[in-house]
Amino acid sequence: MNDNDVKLNKAIELLNQRGLDGLIIYSSGTCSIMRPSYLHYFSELRPFGPNNAIIISKSGDITLLVEPPWDSIRASEKSWVSDTRGTSDFLRDLTSIMQELKITGSVGVVGSREMKHDIYNSIKKEANVEITDDIIEEIAREKTQKEIDIIRKTAQIADVGFEALLKYARVGIREYELVAEMEFAMRCAGANEIFLLMSSGKHNYEMHEPTERRLAEGDIIIGEFSPVYEGQFIQLCRTIVLGKPSPILIEKYNILIHALDESLKQIKPGVPASSISMAMNKVIGEAGYAKYCYPPYMRARGHGFGVGSIAPGAALNDDNKMIIERHQVLVAHPNQYIPETGYLACGDPVLVTDTDFERLTETEMKLYAKEV
Amino acid sequence: METIQPTLRIGRTVWDKINMPEVEFQKRIDKIKQEMKKEGIDVLLLYGHAFNDYGNPCYVSNFIIRLPRGTIVVVTQDGELELMFEGSSRGVPFAKTTTWLKDVRACGDISKEIVKYLKEKDFIPSTTGFAGLRQLMPYNQFQLLFKSLDQCKIVDVNHIIRDMRMVKSQRECDQIRRSSRIVSHTFDVISDTVFSNMNERILEAHIFKAARLEGAGDIRVLIAKPLKAKWALRPVEDTAISAGDSIIIYLAVEFERYWSERIRTFIVKDSSLVKPEFETAETLYKRIMKRIKPGKTVSQFYKEAIGEIEKSHAEYIPEYGLGHGIGLNLQEPPVIAEVDTNQLKEGMCFTLRLTIKDTTIGAAMVGNTINLSKKGPEILTN
Repeated sequence: MNDNDVKLNKAIELLNQRGLDGLIIYSSGTCSIMRPSYLHYFSELRPFGPNNAIIISKSGDITLLVEPPWDSIRASEKSWVSDTRGTSDFLRDLTSIMQELKITGSVGVVGSREMKHDIYNSIKKEANVEITDDIIEEIAREKTQKEIDIIRKTAQIADVGFEALLKYARVGIREYELVAEMEFAMRCAGANEIFLLMSSGKHNYEMHEPTERRLAEGDIIIGEFSPVYEGQFIQLCRTIVLGKPSPILIEKYNILIHALDESLKQIKPGVPASSISMAMNKVIGEAGYAKYCYPPYMRARGHGFGVGSIAPGAALNDDNKMIIERHQVLVAHPNQYIPETGYLACGDPVLVTDTDFERLTETEMKLYAKEV
Repeated sequence: METIQPTLRIGRTVWDKINMPEVEFQKRIDKIKQEMKKEGIDVLLLYGHAFNDYGNPCYVSNFIIRLPRGTIVVVTQDGELELMFEGSSRGVPFAKTTTWLKDVRACGDISKEIVKYLKEKDFIPSTTGFAGLRQLMPYNQFQLLFKSLDQCKIVDVNHIIRDMRMVKSQRECDQIRRSSRIVSHTFDVISDTVFSNMNERILEAHIFKAARLEGAGDIRVLIAKPLKAKWALRPVEDTAISAGDSIIIYLAVEFERYWSERIRTFIVKDSSLVKPEFETAETLYKRIMKRIKPGKTVSQFYKEAIGEIEKSHAEYIPEYGLGHGIGLNLQEPPVIAEVDTNQLKEGMCFTLRLTIKDTTIGAAMVGNTINLSKKGPEILTN
């Protein structure tokens, strides 16, 4: 049985267990770092039209419906789902497939947060709706070798992105030009998409989209560099100084590296995700910056990443009690505002192993300085 | 055209106050308030979502969201405008550098935040205008908002802003001209580049870099190989591009919020992209363009365009349509279709596309962004 048969059988088993007539896995074609891409995970198709759905009946019939209609050619080539249909009238065709597959009692809906009012209401007219994102979350818990390979490749692309940053960061280049060079390097290395926030200046307050600002001597460049490959995000957070870093910057950055090391020591299957954040905040708090560890200065100490599930969650903080499990991917980042230096970026992505964790990227964790 | 939306808008993000000064937004607001008064609206909610549908709130604020989430601008008859976006409060200072609005709030769930705001400002009960909410807002947020405003009279007033946005001001046309320049420049770069080991992904990387370095905020690329038996426009793959291939490239670029698109067909010769001879498509395209005239309905223009295609005996491929309006949204009204009864007017900007079968290269596709000016239709992406 191949990986896709396993996914489908598990979905059928779970929907039958819950007494559902069928399952709809929906996507509005957007991809967010804060949410899983359920349809992409299940079908292996990266959707892009405004409405896309997989419809599964309790007896195992499965259809992939994509809008616009011309995307059905790509969908049938990329996805393992053999019944792939294109539509220019999504509502009409979705409800007609529900009727065809006899989904009339209760239907589980995955990805409902992306649904617009009219789609949700149309489904509701056909069957009782139950929100069942957890069905895919459950299936996605165990990662296949193919998924692990994708994770490793994405991590390599992140390393390539940082190399480009180091190469092109120089006095006079504009922020958006620097991002263009990083993006070029990561796309050439295979990235489908890039999530990238950065800032430059003598004292940064937050990371943002690139502006026209030209880099100057003494600038601190901070960034979260997150390529996406086959739906998988991996994030690397680093800080570079253009010129010689000040002793105080070195001292404060070392606190963050220590906080990262302490937090990584917590990572192993069975512990709550909050332990990562708590360990980080303890180090930074003891250094005198406890107030800056919480909103409005800080929101999260990392995120989970994945295609079918982002467990242990979109925000690793002291309140996140989700249990860390094998094969989860997360970034731990003590990115921190420090009054003496401004906002600094420091973080590494890891894969949770049977016993602890594995750092996914090769880029050394240190404060980088580039001669000008 | 449907394209892949980015996960984050990572291009140049600025507010150029010369290109788009505050007075431009004030004019729009004054007009909106007049329309609100005519329709008895106390408070108007302009909603936008992600990177394909940010137009409504952006039209009055210049704000564009960084993540695929929601934005609302609240317009009242007397008060200041309020901008709310879904995101962290740390993003507010940067957001304020890209908008003239003073009141900017970040929130986790925009439906809850808007209800809180309307309560604070005593707008419950009121006559509340919705623009874009029913169509674009995720259903759970829409339901919460709708229920929470059960004491309000809700009026759908999409038409107010849609009609205003359909006819562009001179400054808007200039912005579309600027994004068109980037589109044209990018095509020049890729036509002049000799690629070694040409592959679709590397080609796309070059396209992105060329456009980003010119200041593109958002970029969309689709590709097709029409010599294949089954083909369609699609995102790039890790597939080689070989000598003899014919390739259609769709490129859309957003510069300072405004979009432009262009489509061209190439053949691959050695390691370069070369423009093939397809006189039929180009001549036909010019003939269709001549039919664009202010005062005609879009429907009438559509029928005339189809008439020209039939007269030419070209085999038309209808999947990608003939085009639509373009501006703050990559796709906006009017839609060049039989059912669109809007009138063509000076100041409109739209895409005009033509796809026809070709015995040598499979299919030829031509597309441009056009401004309907006093002098007639002008191609901005030549």
